[in-house]
Amino acid sequence: MIASSWTSSDADAPALMTDTSKAIEIINVSKSYVKLNEQAMLLKSIMPFNRAEKEELKALQDISFSVEHGETLGILGRNGAGKSTLMRMLAGVSAPSEGLVRIVGRVAPLLSVGVGFHKEMSGRENVHVNGMLLGLTKKEINQRFDEIVAFSEVGEFIDTPVKFYSSGMYMRLGFAVAVHVEPQILLLDEVLAVGDVAFQLKCFDRMRELQHRGTTIVMVSHSMHAIRLMCPRVLLFRKGKLEFDGDAEEAISTHHQLLTLDAAEDHFGQARMPISVLSRRLQRDGVETAAASHDETLEAIWSIRFEEPISSPQAAFRILAEDGTLAYSIHTTIGDAWRDFDAGHETEVRVRFQPRFGGGGTFRLMLDITDITGVHVLGTDPEGPRVYVGPRPGTGGLGDALATIDIDDVHMTNHRSLAMDGRAADANGSGEARRPGS
Amino acid sequence: MPETQVNSQRNVLEVGPQPTRLLPWFREFWAYREVLGILARKDFQTKYKRASFGIVWAVLLPMIQAAVFVVIFSRVGQFNHLSFNYSAYVLAGVLSWSYFGTSGLAASTAIVDGSSLTDKVWFPRSLLALVPALSNLFGLATSMVLLIVALPIVGAHVTWRLVFLPVAIVLLLLFTAGFGLVTSALHVYFRDVKFIVQAALLVWFYVTPIVYPAHALHTIGPYLDFNPMTGIINLFQFAAAGPFGPLMRPILVSIGVTVVMLVIGIEVTRRHDRLFVDKL
Repeated sequence: MIASSWTSSDADAPALMTDTSKAIEIINVSKSYVKLNEQAMLLKSIMPFNRAEKEELKALQDISFSVEHGETLGILGRNGAGKSTLMRMLAGVSAPSEGLVRIVGRVAPLLSVGVGFHKEMSGRENVHVNGMLLGLTKKEINQRFDEIVAFSEVGEFIDTPVKFYSSGMYMRLGFAVAVHVEPQILLLDEVLAVGDVAFQLKCFDRMRELQHRGTTIVMVSHSMHAIRLMCPRVLLFRKGKLEFDGDAEEAISTHHQLLTLDAAEDHFGQARMPISVLSRRLQRDGVETAAASHDETLEAIWSIRFEEPISSPQAAFRILAEDGTLAYSIHTTIGDAWRDFDAGHETEVRVRFQPRFGGGGTFRLMLDITDITGVHVLGTDPEGPRVYVGPRPGTGGLGDALATIDIDDVHMTNHRSLAMDGRAADANGSGEARRPGS
Repeated sequence: MPETQVNSQRNVLEVGPQPTRLLPWFREFWAYREVLGILARKDFQTKYKRASFGIVWAVLLPMIQAAVFVVIFSRVGQFNHLSFNYSAYVLAGVLSWSYFGTSGLAASTAIVDGSSLTDKVWFPRSLLALVPALSNLFGLATSMVLLIVALPIVGAHVTWRLVFLPVAIVLLLLFTAGFGLVTSALHVYFRDVKFIVQAALLVWFYVTPIVYPAHALHTIGPYLDFNPMTGIINLFQFAAAGPFGPLMRPILVSIGVTVVMLVIGIEVTRRHDRLFVDKL
C-alpha cells in the first residue's frame, strides 16, 4: 500500500545516485541525547540563560559499517552500549545526530518486547494494523492471516485484546507478523528469549528459511547460543563505540573479555569491600593450568584478606557457562558459627572439583564470600579464572549424565577414547572446540 | 549535514540529521493515509467497544451538558428575550465545543500515548496527533444530526442556514488538527503540556461565547472575536439559531489562526519526526 501509492517523479531524482549495493550502510553515525539534569520543564527551559543545565549523552560515537544483502549480522554489547539506539535507527524511527543511515529494502523491526501493538485492540486487529504499518496491503494481510495465527499459536485468543495476552503470546504474535511480511531486512532485538523451547526452535527454523531466501537479518541477543547459530558475523559495541567487527567466535570471546574487564572496573570503582580478593589461580596436580578434561580434578585457589573483623564467613562457588548460564554451584555450611577473623588476616579459599561437563566449553569460576547468613556478599572475585574443558567425545550439553544406549540389545554407546584433543586450546574462550547444535 | 530522504519506490530510506524536505514529507504523509484511516477507526471502535451504550455516550454527554446550561442560564442570565433561539444557540455551541475539547485533549498526548506503537515502527508521527480529530468526527456528525432533529423541539426553525454546518465542521476539524499537531509535539518535550491544555480548555470554554451571546458581556464582548474558537462556534450557532451578531471578524480570525497553527504544527512535526522517539 505504501510503496504502490508512490509515483516515480522528479523528487526521486537525487536518489538515483544512491548506492543500493548494500542492504544497510551506516556512515560515520553518532547519536547524542540532550539530557536535562532535571525533568524537562516548560517554564524552566524557556527561560533565557538556562542552557548550562543541559548535559550530552553520547549513545553512539562515529560508527561506520555496512551489511550486504542477505547477510545475517549479530550485535553484542552490554546494556547501554548503544545497541538499542542503533536498532532504532535501522528501523528508521530515530535520526542520527551526525552521519547517514541508509537502508535498502522493506524493514520489519521487532525490537524489545512489544512490536507496536495497541493494547486495547484484539490480536486480529493488531495483525492488520501492524501488517499495514510494515508495508503490506489489506489483501496481502488477508492472504497471510491464517498462516500468521497458526505460526503464533495464540489460537482462539486472536480476538482477545492483546492487553490480556501473556508476554509469550504477545511476542509470538509479533514475531509471526514480522516474519510473515517477508521483509527484505528483519531486525530482532532480544526477542528469542521469550517463548518456550518449541517456539524458539520454530523461530530459528523460520529465520533459517528467511536466511536462505536472502533476507538480511540484524539481531541483538544476549544469548551466545543464538548468535552462534545464526550469525557468521558479529559487531561488538562498548560504550557507544564499535569495538569489534568480524567472526562470531572471536566477537564472543572479546565480549567476554570486555565483560570481565568492565566488571572489574565497576567493582574497583565501588567502595572497598570487607574482604578483598588478592589473587586467584587454577591448578591441576599442583601445576597452574587453564584447560582440563572432564574427569580430571582441578583446584581453584583464591587468596583473600579480611579488611575488617569478620565472624564465621561463608563461601559460594559457582561455575558459569560461557553465556552466563549457571552450570554448577555449591556453598559452605551457611548459618554455622565457626570462627572469627581479625582485620588484616590473609588466608586462602581452596575449591577442588571435577569439571564434568560432557559437551565441554569454556567456563568461568566465580567465588563469593558472604557473612554467616549467606545473604550479604562481603567479598567477591569479579574476574574469576577461566577453564577450557574438552568435550567427552560423543556427548553434548552442559551436564554429563553418563548415559549408555543399547539398540537391539547391542551396546552402541560411543566409547571412543576419552583422551583430550583440545587440551592445548586457548583458555580465554576463543578456542572452544564444538559449536552447540553442530 | 545529510538530510533524510525517502524513496519508497525503490524502498530506499536515508536518514541523516536533517529532516525530510517539505514536499517529500507531504508525499510520505499521503502514502500513509490508509494507516491514518485504520488508526482512527480503531481508536473509535476501542473507545466505546466495552460500554453497553457505546457510541450513544459520545452524543449523550454533551447533550446533557447543553440541557443543563439551557435550563440554568436561561434563568440566571435572562437570555429569554433574545432575537434568536437561545436553546438552539447553546446546543450548537456545546455540541461543537465538546468535539474540540475531547479531541484536543486526546490529541495533545497522542504522540506520547502512542509510544508503544511508535518506538518500533516508522510512520509519520503527525498521524497520531490527527487520529482523535478524525475518530471523533463520527460523534460530531451524529451530534449534528441530533441537533437538526432537536431544533423544532426547542422551538427553532430549520432553515437554509444549515448549509453552513458542513463548512463549520471542516473549519473545526482543521483547527482541531492544527491544535493537536502543535500541542502533541510540545507534550513530547514538556509533559506539563497535558495539564496546561486541560486548564486552558476549562478557561477557554467560558471565554468563548457558547452559553451566552458575546454582546451579553457588553464592552468586553468584541474582544472575544480574537479568540480563534469564537468564529468557529459562532458559525455552528448561526447555522442552528439564526443571526445574532457580526460574524465576519471572528471567522477571519479563526481561519487565520487555523492556518498559522497548521503551518507551525506541520513544521514542528516534520523537523522532529525522527527525534520524538528519543524522548519517549
